Amino acid sequence: MKDEKIENFDSIVIGAGHAGCEAALALARTGNKTLLLTISLDAIAFLACNPSIGGTAKGQLVAEVDALGGEMGIVADKTAIQIRMLNRGKGVAVQSLRAQADKNAYHTEMKKTLEKEKNLFIRQGEAISVEIENENGSDDENDRQKQKEFSKDTDEKLKIGKNKTKFLVTTKLGLCYRAKSVVFATGVYLKSEIIIGSTREAVGPNGFKNSSLLSDSLKNLGIKLLRFKTGTPVRLHARSVDFDKMEVQLGDEDIMSFSTMTEGKVENKAVCFLTYTTPKTHEIIRNNLDKAPAISGEIKGVGPRYCPSIETKVVRFADKERHQLFLEPEALDTQELYLQGFSTSMPADLQADMVHSVIGLERAEIMRDAYAIEYDCIEPTQLKPTLELKTIPGLFFAGQINGTSGYEEAAAQGIVAGINASLFNQGKEQLVLKRSDAYIGVLIDDIVTKGTNEPYRMMTSRAEYRLLLRQDNADMRLTEIGRRVGLVSDERYEKFQKKCQKIAEIEQILQQKVKIDEKTTALFEENGEPLPKENMRFCDIMKRNNIDIFKIDEKFHLFDGVERKLLEIVNTKIKYAGYLKQQEEDVERMLANEGVAIPEDFDFKSAKGLREEAKEKLDKIRPLNLGQASRISGVSPADISVLSILVKKENKTKK
Amino acid sequence: MKEDIIVSVSTSLGRGAIAVVRMSGLGCLDVALKLFHSKNLTKENVVPRFMYFGKLNLGDVFEECLMVFFKAPFSYTGEDVVEFQVHGGVLLAQKVVEVCLKNGARLAEAGEFSKRAFLNGKISLDKAEAIIGEINAETEGELKSSLRVTNGVLAEKVLSQQEKLTTLLAEIEVGMDYPDETEETQLKTDVFGRLKEIKAEIEQILDDSKNAKYLKNGINVALVGKTNVGKSSLMNALLGQERAIVTDIQGTTRDQITESFLFEGVKINLIDTAGIRQTGDVVEKLGIEKSKQSILQADLVLFVLDGSEPESDEDKQIEKLISDKKYIVVVNKTDKKRVVSKKENEVEISAREGKNINLLKQRILDLVMDGSVDPNALVLTNERQFGILKEADEILEKILSGSNTTLDILSMMIKSLWQTLGKITGNTENEDIINLIFSKFCLGK
Repeated sequence: MKDEKIENFDSIVIGAGHAGCEAALALARTGNKTLLLTISLDAIAFLACNPSIGGTAKGQLVAEVDALGGEMGIVADKTAIQIRMLNRGKGVAVQSLRAQADKNAYHTEMKKTLEKEKNLFIRQGEAISVEIENENGSDDENDRQKQKEFSKDTDEKLKIGKNKTKFLVTTKLGLCYRAKSVVFATGVYLKSEIIIGSTREAVGPNGFKNSSLLSDSLKNLGIKLLRFKTGTPVRLHARSVDFDKMEVQLGDEDIMSFSTMTEGKVENKAVCFLTYTTPKTHEIIRNNLDKAPAISGEIKGVGPRYCPSIETKVVRFADKERHQLFLEPEALDTQELYLQGFSTSMPADLQADMVHSVIGLERAEIMRDAYAIEYDCIEPTQLKPTLELKTIPGLFFAGQINGTSGYEEAAAQGIVAGINASLFNQGKEQLVLKRSDAYIGVLIDDIVTKGTNEPYRMMTSRAEYRLLLRQDNADMRLTEIGRRVGLVSDERYEKFQKKCQKIAEIEQILQQKVKIDEKTTALFEENGEPLPKENMRFCDIMKRNNIDIFKIDEKFHLFDGVERKLLEIVNTKIKYAGYLKQQEEDVERMLANEGVAIPEDFDFKSAKGLREEAKEKLDKIRPLNLGQASRISGVSPADISVLSILVKKENKTKK
Repeated sequence: MKEDIIVSVSTSLGRGAIAVVRMSGLGCLDVALKLFHSKNLTKENVVPRFMYFGKLNLGDVFEECLMVFFKAPFSYTGEDVVEFQVHGGVLLAQKVVEVCLKNGARLAEAGEFSKRAFLNGKISLDKAEAIIGEINAETEGELKSSLRVTNGVLAEKVLSQQEKLTTLLAEIEVGMDYPDETEETQLKTDVFGRLKEIKAEIEQILDDSKNAKYLKNGINVALVGKTNVGKSSLMNALLGQERAIVTDIQGTTRDQITESFLFEGVKINLIDTAGIRQTGDVVEKLGIEKSKQSILQADLVLFVLDGSEPESDEDKQIEKLISDKKYIVVVNKTDKKRVVSKKENEVEISAREGKNINLLKQRILDLVMDGSVDPNALVLTNERQFGILKEADEILEKILSGSNTTLDILSMMIKSLWQTLGKITGNTENEDIINLIFSKFCLGK
């Protein structure tokens, strides 16, 4: 293509799902002229599976994306039709918000948000290749040859001058775009195939067009691909469901919102229902296992354990008499219901029999079939914790293409990839969120350090510092970081500062000492706490097991008109103080190793004193520092001790 | 870089009259001064590289010892270092390490002192390989000692406790990560009950490992009693024909003599104060203070009474001294008319006539080793492993003493317990818990 026909951008984002949207917004909002390329404008921010945002650990991810200046929380608040706080009563560390989102509204709202961004150019088109262009802008045969040679030998690192390299992205219709950096956020579209029974069709989620050529272009760049699988259940017509036989699930009324930018509270406009499979369901499945592609071996892709198809559940947990299923509304302006827990790739006619055997679904009308989908993704250990490809600076990857699953996981990576592509364009040091900073840090560190052999889902149990990584303090942890990289707006930042100030005021008030008078005595007695011998500060009174900030406020009216949310934050800080300190000390220990950088060209293979297994693993992952090295499976604490000596020696010798 | 405080016994165990326990890391002086008391000594006036004499608080007893403080960077590791010199012996040195652990230090990893010395530039570059060798050798040695000596008994036993915790954690975690799957995830069983069981098992391992230590190093038995009750003749009677081994064994203080004999294949070390054996009898000046020394070292105390005389105040004082130790009251001189009142846990002997001496030996063995002398059933732990198990036991204590604990906190503490045991088993992958969640529970949309 003639050079003048090639349109120039700072960055190109391929894919407009939950990762792509956040990446594109992060880039555009930090001043990069950004192209967002998507196979279909109708698939922007599409909720392809559950019509819901948040959930355990995922609620935290949404809050973190929000704190960094992302969009998911804001859009989720605007389009939520039911909201609940999960794990109430199990402790603040594991509380997470979960909202039923209006699928149509979510898509529309996000699309509107993208369209408003002045640096962002949205274009429908299928990217089919990404090529490296050298500094002169020529892409003659010679260069192409070089590039191919490079791809053959992945051990050889490409030496490219900083920011001199450009990338050319070509679409199926022959259009060509040039940019300094590219973010791949292609979701499950790469060579995707939908499988229902014996039918296999090369399409993307929900029948959208798939991307059949781009994976080969990635392979040509020397990138190793994996093949994963996931699935989605049937959608039913609400008029055909016998809700009387089911248990209704209501939203919580006292919940505010995901985003700190949302004013007021999210209203509950819809309900969900709970029902169960029956022995008949299981019988139908058992009698037809030969027709189940996931079990017969027809599906080769690796599926997630936490999202098994109903046939997998019946086979693997044969002793379970029933499995619970939820019915969730897809949107307010449709009758479609999502049947959570009923993923399957059984033939369509069998799906109907299976559905009809469920309590309350005896005469249910199926509107969309359940399906399994197989797709290409990349081996995520090829990435740095910045989400940049180790071998080719300027190429970033985010979302399901990295072997993760879930909208929130995707958005979390999207915003980081966007931020880092922007920092890359500016020639600045890139952002790495640590495991102690955010769930996002845990997520990225896990996939780039350990890899994954199934679609990776965030869980609170994956976060070792989850007491510190709460939903309620996401803004405290990340707003400053978001501000530093230029993504937190003045408006958000001012709001944040005001909140900090208010919290400080509350804490100040709690420093007051109170006399042991009638009121105080009553407070202690009513809560079954022994009376103190001398005057105490409110904050010390709060440390008593049965007393909290709210009980104190009831008696002393210290905080009339103060938002409950703020009191909760202070309450947690004080009541959990001892445990928080313990985790902070753990973090400090962890950071000691994290602070020891391993030279980029460190020769693990010939490192003396390391065990062979450790050498191999270390060489494969090429960790940035001792901390990351210590989390590689197969690397022992003794190996890390040895490595610390070797690194020190190498650094000294170099000097 | 801020490093935490590490501690370990830095003299080799089993040899030497004294043992050195060393701590390194910023703040180790604070830990030391919580335990060590010397006249007018404070954090502010402590003089580096000056040896202080004082008392070390071991919880139930005070031990006289020496302390030296090295200020960074003028120390072996280049960090602040404190060294305690205590009377030689496994149990005592271990006890010192234990109290340091309780007060904020953690056990040093293999080769960690040298590693820190190297990283802080105290050891020259060309020694790097030697230190790597040290790390690997110690790691391997540890591995071998847990695998070879015991055919993996320790690792196996600890592993089975860790596995119980994995299950428990999976059950707690699944409820938190899948709160909607109520059928699957209700925490059905009593968490505290199960933790109590695990605690009992860990304490059993600790006990067993003590037994193993007895097998290796012998049982230290102290003879106490006032003058002229017949301690010396008892000692002679116990040693009898078998007094083959005369050694300077760990577990004894410098000014004490130890002689040992074998019984049922187990070495029994008799600790007595200097002088007794020299003269064969009399000239004993066994004061209360000196008895304390012997008692501290002992796994078991033989409290010797003269059966032909009524109990004196001194007897009563000694009895008080040993009240929280394992002890046997040895009523001597049964060849004469018995005057002394009946005691609990007593053995009547006549040292002069050699009466009931074998019975006494059997009782010593039974009491200390709970009757078990089958070496195969025992578990041997090295210092570090023993310390880790102690640490685990303490975490359990903390969990079990808590009330009103929310599930997130409970799980955090159980996780830290799980990781502590992982230092012995080598299983520290969080993924194990997650794997169990998915293999045990049927979850997901």
